Amino acid sequence: MSPQPVKPAGAIIMDGLWYDNPIFRQILGICSTLAVTNVILNTAVMCISLTLVTALSCWTVSILRDWTPRNIRMMVQTLIMAFYVIIVDILLKAYWPEMSRNLGPYVGLIITNCILMGRCEAFAISNPPGPSFLDGFFNGLGYSSILLAIAATREMTGMGTFLGWPVPFFSGPYWDKWVIMVMPPGAFFTLACMIWLCRSIWTKEKVPAQTGGK
Amino acid sequence: MRDKPWYPVVYMFVITVLLSALLIGFSRYTRDKIEVNVQMAFERAVVGAFIDVKPVANQQVHQMFTQQFKLDEKSKSYIYSKDGQVQGYAVPFAGQGFWDNIRGILGIAADKRTVSGITFYEQTETPGLGARIDENDFKKQFPGVKIKPTAKPIGIRPAAQQLSDNEVHAVTGATQTSVRLEKLINDSLVRWLESQGVKEPSS
Repeated sequence: MSPQPVKPAGAIIMDGLWYDNPIFRQILGICSTLAVTNVILNTAVMCISLTLVTALSCWTVSILRDWTPRNIRMMVQTLIMAFYVIIVDILLKAYWPEMSRNLGPYVGLIITNCILMGRCEAFAISNPPGPSFLDGFFNGLGYSSILLAIAATREMTGMGTFLGWPVPFFSGPYWDKWVIMVMPPGAFFTLACMIWLCRSIWTKEKVPAQTGGK
Repeated sequence: MRDKPWYPVVYMFVITVLLSALLIGFSRYTRDKIEVNVQMAFERAVVGAFIDVKPVANQQVHQMFTQQFKLDEKSKSYIYSKDGQVQGYAVPFAGQGFWDNIRGILGIAADKRTVSGITFYEQTETPGLGARIDENDFKKQFPGVKIKPTAKPIGIRPAAQQLSDNEVHAVTGATQTSVRLEKLINDSLVRWLESQGVKEPSS
């Protein structure tokens, strides 16, 4: 079904992590970036969940790609994603109830994350299962790395802690905690700065030919 | 076969049935565990309104709950007694918070006038803001708070304001959560006080 050669694994990994990073290159999935990045632990669990769901969904979509009729492919993809999201939700409820309580509705909202549909449509639907899994996984990691950086910034400046532990200086009397950072607007500022920073570095680098012209 | 008009319908049907079957199986397999978790969270909240249950194992909490707490149907609260003596009352409160339901337990000492603690077993307020009602800094204000037998037995006031002996400080930046929480607690407290016949002292 796909006449073009499959991208080498190294390129898939680097694209997911950096050159085509979902957050600052594709600007996908930033809804959850805004919602769950004020406490690092919640963010980490969200990232792990999203990475697993993306990787497994891409893998499944790819396995079924030759049988799936084109006109209903999006319905099938959504169904597959929902399947994995519900599994993650049940797993958290059964084995980590506190975290399930912390994340509340956000686990269920993974299904609306644009990265999922984006990767299924852009890659998994026309590539074999192995590379698709890799692509989903590393896009998830690319998303996670930026999210964790944002979460760390917000938690440290807003609450003076890192993973709940007080950070020297930031939890001290000389640091006036920026309450706005843990509130929703703080996410906008931090995300914008993060995209600015990453893109500044990115444009300075020579972009490899293989990822150009997407 | 793939270009037949019925193919997409059948395909969708088959795949839905397959995935749903897997999910149903999986949720059946974990259902008991989830139910136990929910029940355990509740029991920890009830017992935790009186003693610090953080270091206590689930097994022991369950034992204390079944032996020392008795549901009083009339006032919809739990009576905490030890060696035949009433130690306090656990009054559940529940209702809409800022995002979703908040459910918790207010522990009241045997004199029916003093709060002995507060715990939550369900809340999905904003992490870092409203959700901090479930953190120790907020909850530790409650033990010792006096209950006024009026329409507003206890109060949650903005930080930095002067407090009287029936009030605590709210979490900064979580006004909505605080206002709703205050209402939830007071609603069930007023009902409970009525059921106990506690009235304002006529002085």
